[in-house]
Amino acid sequence: MPAQQIVEEVSVQWIKEQLDHFADLEERMLTAPSGKAGLLYIKSITDPQIINRSIIAPFYEIDNTQVYSDYLSSYPGSEEGKTGQHALELMLGGYACVHIEGKLCFFDALKAETRSVSENMTESVTQGPSDALTENLAVNLNLIRRRYQSTELKMESMLIGNISRTKVAILYDDSRVNHQVLDELRERLGTLRIDILQASGELEKYIRSDKLRIFPKTIVTERPDRVVFNLAEGKIAVMLDTTGYAILLPVIFNDFFVAMDDKIQLPFVGRFLKLLRITGVAMTLWLPALYVAFTSYNPEIVRVQIALLIAGSRATVPYPSFVEVLIMLVMMEFLTEASLRLPRAIGPTATTVGGLILGQAATAAGLVGNIMIILVSVVAISNFMIPLNMMSFSIRVLKYLFIIAAAALGLVGVVVCLVGFTMYLCSQRSFGQPYFKMFFLDSLGNSGKQKGGGR
Amino acid sequence: MTQNRYFYWLFIMNSLINIINFVPRELMDTRFKGAQTSILAAVVLGTAFVYLFTALMAKFPGKGIQEILDTAFSRVFIIPLMVIFAALWCAAGLITILSFIDITLRFISPDTGPYLVVLGFLVVVFFCARMDSLSLLYGLEVMLGISVPLILYTLFKAVTNPDFSWDAVLQIITYFPHAPDVKSMAAATFSFSGYINMAVFNRVLPKLRLKHRWILGVQGLAVLLLTFYVPIGYFGTVAVERHVYTWFSTADSIGINTFIIERMLFIFYFAYLNLSLTSVIIHWHVGKELLTGLFPSPKNPKSKAKVWRELAILGLFSAVTLILMRLDQYQLNALGIWFLLARWLGELLLIMLLFYCYTVLRRRNP
Repeated sequence: MPAQQIVEEVSVQWIKEQLDHFADLEERMLTAPSGKAGLLYIKSITDPQIINRSIIAPFYEIDNTQVYSDYLSSYPGSEEGKTGQHALELMLGGYACVHIEGKLCFFDALKAETRSVSENMTESVTQGPSDALTENLAVNLNLIRRRYQSTELKMESMLIGNISRTKVAILYDDSRVNHQVLDELRERLGTLRIDILQASGELEKYIRSDKLRIFPKTIVTERPDRVVFNLAEGKIAVMLDTTGYAILLPVIFNDFFVAMDDKIQLPFVGRFLKLLRITGVAMTLWLPALYVAFTSYNPEIVRVQIALLIAGSRATVPYPSFVEVLIMLVMMEFLTEASLRLPRAIGPTATTVGGLILGQAATAAGLVGNIMIILVSVVAISNFMIPLNMMSFSIRVLKYLFIIAAAALGLVGVVVCLVGFTMYLCSQRSFGQPYFKMFFLDSLGNSGKQKGGGR
Repeated sequence: MTQNRYFYWLFIMNSLINIINFVPRELMDTRFKGAQTSILAAVVLGTAFVYLFTALMAKFPGKGIQEILDTAFSRVFIIPLMVIFAALWCAAGLITILSFIDITLRFISPDTGPYLVVLGFLVVVFFCARMDSLSLLYGLEVMLGISVPLILYTLFKAVTNPDFSWDAVLQIITYFPHAPDVKSMAAATFSFSGYINMAVFNRVLPKLRLKHRWILGVQGLAVLLLTFYVPIGYFGTVAVERHVYTWFSTADSIGINTFIIERMLFIFYFAYLNLSLTSVIIHWHVGKELLTGLFPSPKNPKSKAKVWRELAILGLFSAVTLILMRLDQYQLNALGIWFLLARWLGELLLIMLLFYCYTVLRRRNP
């Protein structure tokens, strides 16, 4: 890249004026027999080693300033600041400004303080890779490119955020991606006007099409193998610098119930696990509502022994069943929420006090029935069987809707709510693609054409 | 499988829902006077209607009934036609929802107030009927996926029950040779009228290429025969007439010995509540689409006029439902039977109109 021509409007003096009151601004004059060079950089975001080795040392080793200038401008990553604005952006982005004989050259010396690749925290699997995406985009790309060695894996990058200048990378497999979705994503990202962008979830919030919704329309994941798996299925991955999560889109409802070790397990075991998860979701959604319906409205539906059992356990309970359910569920939510925020050392205490003692005491005092305690634990446990957190939270909220419906109309309410829920799911679109339908029927007729996805 | 399957789902939905819309009741009334020949005639007629209608619609790919009629008739003629058809579709949903409310109050929750139940139903129908057509088809598919296995299970349990009286069925078969009854036949063709929803859904299923349409005839025949014979096997040839909702009484007579739920009624009710709500949603969606088509589409895409129109139309349907809640069982039954006949004539009219449009189209570009 030629840095020969003198940039008129950008001078060292001007940059220094702009960066007034920067205590960490460093200016040095390098003087050697062959000539002089000025060096200007922001100390806190530049790497002293790079400055030393690649800028200062060669200056004294190369006798000719002209050769030195060529060396700088041909070094990978160095740029010339075309306009004042661009020069400032480069300076703030960790570039060092070297000026020799009136020429300005910006040299990439960014020091990115990140942690190394570590084990994933939110989506753990029993077997299989356990490295997680990091806060450094370059490292993340390395993790993915290494797993997806194809010329079809394309990457586009852009900057989002007026202040944060966050690097955003869009990855997709060109031969498998739905180009309609890709264009829509590009358009939405292109029209985005915000100041600060720090997390993937935030970006997800900005690129959604509908304001009011309950289900996540994109997967936010920290597993590189999930990203690769979904890329191969024709999805698009959006990755941000400074955040350890990638966004995958478009998604369908079923994607949220796929754990990455399903592929590792034997086919039947994998199917069984998936069935287990779906049963879990069904239970956490409907058990409390059905309890309300069966105790308060339609005890005749279940076997008479069960009805008597429930009635017996509720004999001392002084309020209607939906109050009982709500009290216990809210209590459980408190516990879950609290144990999430508690320091590690106090965590077990909270669980013991909350779960064991409270449950025991509540039944002994006759405030809730024994069966209710069992039910609440089932609901709590099965809620966390969903591999992806976003969906698990949605389901957690949705079950209250069913409880309200059950409290109002009994079994009829639950079924009406189920119909509405299914229809709502079917009406959802993720980036213009259907979100929920009988997808397996689509592939029934043309089973010869197998989609990618490492099956 | 491609888009084609949605056509079959619409068909299956209607043929399964017939037991709520007083079809068995009408058949039972004439069980000694030609109900069985009526069924046979209905199968032949219904299948012929399906063939004719789908063949005609195939000439207008991706078009709704409104656009098709626009090619051959003036607006003055179309507006009353559309209002009549929309009223028929509204009535289809109306009768399903009204009789299902009656069933709910009688069999499931006698303690709940009728208006609470109807509000619950109307809220979900109101919001779902406004969704776009394709979403409704996806939803229908899921709902059938939930309901049909349960219905098949009920049928299996019903027929394998040792107390099922095959003698009664054999006895009723001896009343076979009678001339078919027009009202029964019209009622029985309701099982076949799912195809008529294509009048609107044709817009979202442009690449429809139907194969094996005869399956629909076989399926319709099977459903009708089961509808007719199974209750007779349970209640006997004479006592069967005492039940208004023949099939729910039948399901109530079946027990399950080895499950948490003891009575088949609840499983059957669950399946049919799903299915009938879906069918009401779909029928009212069609009715709504027919009526909104009458208004000129707004210039401004962001204009709220379309939303208000939809809300007004569905609000009208709901208001009619609330008013007709006051009908007692006799009146509801009479209304249902009147509707079954009117609907059959409406179908006939629609097919004739389509045929005329087709001849106009042929004459224009031979």
